[in-house]
Amino acid sequence: MIRRALPAAAALALALTACGRQAVPPQQQGTGGAPKLELRTVTAPATGELDKATWNLPYEPQTIDPIRSFNYAENTVLANMCESLLRLTPEFRIEPGLAEKADNPTPTTWVYTIRDGVKFWDGAPLTAEDVAASLDRHLDPALGTWWGDYFHNVESIKATGPMQVTVTLKQPDVLFNQAMATAAGAIVSAGYAKKKDLGSPTGGVMCTGPYQYESWKSGDSLTIKRNDAYWDTALRPKTKELVFRFIADETTAVNALRSGEVDGQYFYLPPAGLGQLQQSTTGSVTLGRSLTFWTLLGAAKSGPYADPKVRRALSLALDRAAISKVVFQGTALPQRTLAGAEYWGYQRDVFQKAHDAIPPETPDLAKAKQLLTEAGSPTQTITIGIQGSSAVHEQTANLIKATGEALGLKIEIKVIPVEQYGNLYSDPKAREGIDAFFSTWYGNVPDPLDIYTVFLAGGRTNFNDYAGVDGDITKARAAYDEAERAALVTTIQQKVTADVPWMPLNNLPVILYMNKRVTGAVASFPYLYYPWAAGLGAA
Amino acid sequence: MRFLAKRLAGLVAVLLVASFLVYGLLYLVPGGPMAFLLGNRSGTPEQIAAIRAQYHLDDPFLVRYAAWLRDAVTGDFGTSLVYRQDVSALMASRATTTVFLVVYATLLIVTGGVAMGLLAGLRGGRADGVVTLVSSAFLATPPFVVGVILVIVFALGLGWFPVFGAGSGFGDRVHHLTLPAVTLSLASAAFLARVTRASVAEESGREHVETARSRGLAEGHIVRRHVLRNAAIPVVTVAGLNVAGLIAGSVVVESIFALDGLGSLFVRAILQRDFAIVQAVVLVLVTAFVLINLVVDLCYSALDPRLSRQ
Repeated sequence: MIRRALPAAAALALALTACGRQAVPPQQQGTGGAPKLELRTVTAPATGELDKATWNLPYEPQTIDPIRSFNYAENTVLANMCESLLRLTPEFRIEPGLAEKADNPTPTTWVYTIRDGVKFWDGAPLTAEDVAASLDRHLDPALGTWWGDYFHNVESIKATGPMQVTVTLKQPDVLFNQAMATAAGAIVSAGYAKKKDLGSPTGGVMCTGPYQYESWKSGDSLTIKRNDAYWDTALRPKTKELVFRFIADETTAVNALRSGEVDGQYFYLPPAGLGQLQQSTTGSVTLGRSLTFWTLLGAAKSGPYADPKVRRALSLALDRAAISKVVFQGTALPQRTLAGAEYWGYQRDVFQKAHDAIPPETPDLAKAKQLLTEAGSPTQTITIGIQGSSAVHEQTANLIKATGEALGLKIEIKVIPVEQYGNLYSDPKAREGIDAFFSTWYGNVPDPLDIYTVFLAGGRTNFNDYAGVDGDITKARAAYDEAERAALVTTIQQKVTADVPWMPLNNLPVILYMNKRVTGAVASFPYLYYPWAAGLGAA
Repeated sequence: MRFLAKRLAGLVAVLLVASFLVYGLLYLVPGGPMAFLLGNRSGTPEQIAAIRAQYHLDDPFLVRYAAWLRDAVTGDFGTSLVYRQDVSALMASRATTTVFLVVYATLLIVTGGVAMGLLAGLRGGRADGVVTLVSSAFLATPPFVVGVILVIVFALGLGWFPVFGAGSGFGDRVHHLTLPAVTLSLASAAFLARVTRASVAEESGREHVETARSRGLAEGHIVRRHVLRNAAIPVVTVAGLNVAGLIAGSVVVESIFALDGLGSLFVRAILQRDFAIVQAVVLVLVTAFVLINLVVDLCYSALDPRLSRQ
C-alpha cells in the first residue's frame, strides 16, 4: 500500500467536486503487533444517478429535531437535510457551512456572517433571524437540548444584522465554535423553530440541505428527496429519493442487506452477522475513520478503583489487541489514549509527539505488578457494571477480569439490565456499588479537548469526580491560539492517560455496508453531520 | 342482552385493575425516562428539573395515575414522553399491521389446524400418523426458530418473499406478512389439529353416532350433524385462547420481521418507561382479549343452546 500524502486542500477539492470525486487513499493504522486496518473516508464515486435507494437505521429516530438529535439514527438522517453554520468534512476538517465566516473579535464573542443566496426548501431565503431562532432553542431549558455541554458558556445569541449573528459567551470557549459544525449548529427556519411538533412525524423539519423532508410513517419508514434548488452544486444529490427503514433486529438487518432489499447501513458496533456481510456476494463492507471509541468509565469514589495507581496498573496490563480480535471481530484498533489520531485537527506534530511518549497499547505486566505493589496490593473487590444481553460488554469484561486475576486484582462483573443501563450515566444512585462501567463514546469535533472536557470538575459525566485536569481544561477551552491549546491539551492527555479516570480500550471504525448497485456514501464518522448521501448513486 | 351487559361491565373492571397494576409496576421498577429525554451526556441540574416538572415525573404515584385516568376516560391517552407525539396517533399507524397479522394468522390456524385435525381424526391410519408427526414437530419448534428458518429458505434462498417489513396496500401486505403469519400460526395450528383430531375421534365412537350409522344414515350427514357439531366446542375454546395469545405472541414475530406493529412499540415503550404508550397498549390488549373470549362464549351458545340457558 502506497501512502500518498495529499495536501489537505487538494484532498478537499477532490472530495467536493461532484464529478471528479476520488477515494482518498486509506490510512494504515496501528502499531507493533496490533491489527492493521484499511480505514477510509469516502467510497468509490458513483457513476450515475439513482431514482431511489433504501438505507437502514439501527433503530427508529426519536425525533429529527436538531436540538435533540445526538445519536446514530437521528444524525444519520438529519445530516442530509439540516445544515450547520460550519461543516465537518469526511476528512475531519471544519469548513464554512451556512456561515461564510466565523469571526472572533473578542475572546467572548463569535460573529457569524450568514451565506447569501441560500434558500429553505419552501423557497424562503436564509437570514440571521432563522439562525438566531435555531440556536436560541438550545438556551430554553424546557425544550431539553441534548447539546447543552456546548451551550453552558453561552450568554446570548442575537441577530446583529440581516445576515449576521453574534453569540456572546460568559467565558472564552473554543469548543462552542467547533460545535457549530455538528447538529448543535443546525439551522431550521424561524417559523419551524417555533413549532411544537418540530422534528416529529407530523411536524417534520424545514432546512436548507441537499435533501428535503418528504414523509415519516411512524414505525415504518422515513423518506427524503432531492432538493433540486440546493445552493452547493458540488453536493447535488445523485439519488432522487432516499428511504430509511428501521430494522432494529441485527439478524433481520443483515438478511435485508444481503437480499438487497436494503442498499446500505452504517453500523457503530460490528453486528453478529458481520462475517456474512463481509462474504456477501451482493455488496461489501468498508471500514471508515472514526471518532468513536470503546472505554471503561471509572465511577469509583472509594475502594481500590479510586486509586489512580490501581487503574493505571490494570490499564498497563490489558491486552487491547485481544479485545479488538475477540470482541470486535478484528474491526477495532487498540488505543493508548482516549482521543486517538482522528481527533488531531490541528498541530498534528505536537499531538503525534505527545502520543509517542505515552506507554504503548501492548501489555506491560511487570510494570503493572510493580505499580500494584506500590498501591499496597489491594484485596477488595472491584465491581464492573455491564449491560445485560450484550456480547460486547460481557466479552470485554471477561478479558479485563482475567487480566485482573493475572495481576492479583479481584474483579467482579455485575450485569445490569439493558433498560436500566442508561441510568448509570444520569443517576448517581444507580452507580452505587459500581466501580466502573463500559461505554462507547465519541467526541463530535476534531479536537482532543472535546473528549477531555468531560473531566471538568462537577461535570455530569465526570463520574468519579476526577479533579486532576480541571484547571487545564478551563485554560484550554479559552486558548484560541492552536499552538497554545495543543500544548495544554497534550498536558491534559498525559495526566488523564496516567490517572486513567476512563480507560482507553479500542477505537471503533465506522462499519459501512453497501450493496454493489450503489456507491459514493461517506465512509468516515462525519456521516453523522455531513450530507453523506449526496454522493450516493449508481455504482 | 343481560349477558352482554354483564360481560361489558366485567371488561371495564378488568381494564381498571390492569391499568392500575401496570402503572404501579412501571413506577416501582428502578430507572426512568430521563436518559431518553435528555440523552446520556448533557443536562444541567436546572434543565433536568425543568424537564421533570414538564412531564410531571416528580408527582406522587396516585396523582399521576389519577391524572392519566381522567384523561383516558375522555379518550385522551396522552403524549408519548419519548416521541412527543399523540399516543393514539402512534398506535393507529401500528394497529393496522398487528390486526392484519393476527387475522391472517387466525385464518391459517383455523383452516390449517381444523383441516389437519379432521384429516387425522376421520381418515385415521397413515394420515393420522403423518399429521401427528408433523404437528409434534411444529409444536416443539419455538416461533423465533421457525421465523429464522423460513427467512433463510423462502426469503434469502428462494427469494419468494421479502425479508422484512409490512408492505402497503392489500396484495403487498399479504405478500409481506405471509412468512410472519406462518411463523406465528404453526405451533397454534398444530395444537388445534391435535385437539380437533382427539375431539373428532372421540365423537366418532360415541353411542349416538353408532346409532345413526346403524340406522343407515349417509356418512356425510353423520359427520356434519353428529360428529363435527359436538366436536366443535373444545375446538372453538382452544382456537379462541390461541388467537388471544397471538396478540402477545406477535411481539417476537414483529421483531424478527421488523414489522411496525403494536408489539414492537410496546416492548420499546417498556424499555424507555414511556408510561402513556405502555398503558394504552395494555388497554388495547386487555380489551382484545376480553372481546375474543366474549366471541368464543357467543359461539358456544350458537353451537349448543343449552349452554346459555342457565
